[in-house]
Amino acid sequence: MKVTREELAAFADGELDFERHVEVERAVAADPDLERAAAAHRALRAGLSTHYAPILDEPVPEHLRTLLQRKGSVIDLDKRRQSRSTTRFNVPRWAWIAGPALAASLVLALFIPRDTVSERYAGGQIAAALDDQLVATQSADAPVRVLLSFRDRSGDYCRAYSAVDQAGIACKDAQGWRMIEHFDDAKTAGSEYRQAGAASAELMRLAQEMTIGPALDAAQESEARDKYWKKEP
Amino acid sequence: MKGRKTLSIGFEDGVLALLPRLRRFAIGLSRNPVDGDDLCQMTIERALSRRESYEPGTRLDSWMYRIMRNLWIDERRASRRRSQTFVSEEAGAFIGAAGAQDAAAELGDVDRAMASLPDDQREAVLLVMVEGYTYREAAGIVGCPVGTLNSRLVRGRDALLARLGGTV
Repeated sequence: MKVTREELAAFADGELDFERHVEVERAVAADPDLERAAAAHRALRAGLSTHYAPILDEPVPEHLRTLLQRKGSVIDLDKRRQSRSTTRFNVPRWAWIAGPALAASLVLALFIPRDTVSERYAGGQIAAALDDQLVATQSADAPVRVLLSFRDRSGDYCRAYSAVDQAGIACKDAQGWRMIEHFDDAKTAGSEYRQAGAASAELMRLAQEMTIGPALDAAQESEARDKYWKKEP
Repeated sequence: MKGRKTLSIGFEDGVLALLPRLRRFAIGLSRNPVDGDDLCQMTIERALSRRESYEPGTRLDSWMYRIMRNLWIDERRASRRRSQTFVSEEAGAFIGAAGAQDAAAELGDVDRAMASLPDDQREAVLLVMVEGYTYREAAGIVGCPVGTLNSRLVRGRDALLARLGGTV
C-alpha cells in the first residue's frame, strides 16, 4: 500500500479519518523507513512547539494590555499614576488603591452581574460600612471592605466595596447609598465562575468610567465622611 | 442592558486572555519580537475597531488569528514593494544582504530554518504545529481549501526536516 507524503504528515498530526489512519498505521509498522519518517514528523512538531512555548510565559507588554482596557479611562489619572501604577493581569490602574483589599480577598467566589439593581439602596452591613469605614484604616478582616472612594460626574460620592458574597459600587444621595453596580454570590446559578479579584477589577474599571477625577486620598475620604458623604452645594 | 454589557466585557477579556498566544503567532510570523509586538498591536486595534463584525458565540481565537494573518500579509506585500524599489534604485542589495546575515547569525537553528520558509508555508506550519489548529481550522484562518493548506504544510515540513534533520 502506498502512503503519500501528505498522508504521512496527516497521519502524524492525527488528521486522517479512522479507517485510513488504521491502514497507514499498519503500513508504518511494517516499514522501518516509513516508521522513521513518521517519528521525524512527530519530533519536528514537538520540537517546534517547545521552541515557541516560552513566548507564552513572557509577560505581555504593557502597551498591548492597555489597548484593551475599557474606553473612558481617565487620561490625567493615567499620567498621575504612571510612576506608581503596577498594573498586572487585567487589573486596571486603580487597582493600586484596592491592592490590599484584593489581596485579602483571594478567595474563589462566584459572581454574576445582577440586572435588577437599578433603584436599590444598600442596607444593613453594607450601608454601615459605606458610611463609616475608611479605606486607609479599615480592619483587615472587616466583613465588608471598601475598595476605594471617588466622586462621579455629578459630584456625588461613590464607593466601591467588596464582601464575602457580594461586591459593588454605590453612590450617596439624599435617600442613602444607591447601588450603581452590584455583583453577588450566585452559587445557585452555578454557570459562571469568576474569581473575586476579577469582579473587583471590573468594579475598578466601572469606577474609572464613572468619574472624571482621581480617587479620593485618605485625607479627602476622611473629610467626606465627616460631612456624611454629602456633596458640597 | 445586561446582555450588552456582558458581551462587551467578554470581548475585551477574551482578547486579553488570547494575548500570549497571539504574541506567539505574531513573533513566529514576523520572525522577531519587535515586529511581532507591532503586529500584535495592529491586530488589537483592528479587532477593536471591527468588533461589531465579530459574531458572539463563534470562536474569538480564529477571528483574531485571521485578522492578524491578513494584516501580516498586507504588510509583507507592502514591504516587498518597498524593498524592490530600494534595490533597483539604490543598488543597495549588498547592504541589505549583510544586515540580514548578521541578524540571521543571532538566530538559533529553528528560527533560521523557519525564516527560510516561504510565507505561506511558515504560516501553515505555525498554525498547525505550534498553535495546534486542525487542518480545517487552519485553512479557515488562512482562507484557502484544506487540500492547499495540507500541501503547503507538507512542503514546509519537508524543508524543515531537511534543514534540521534530527536536531529538533
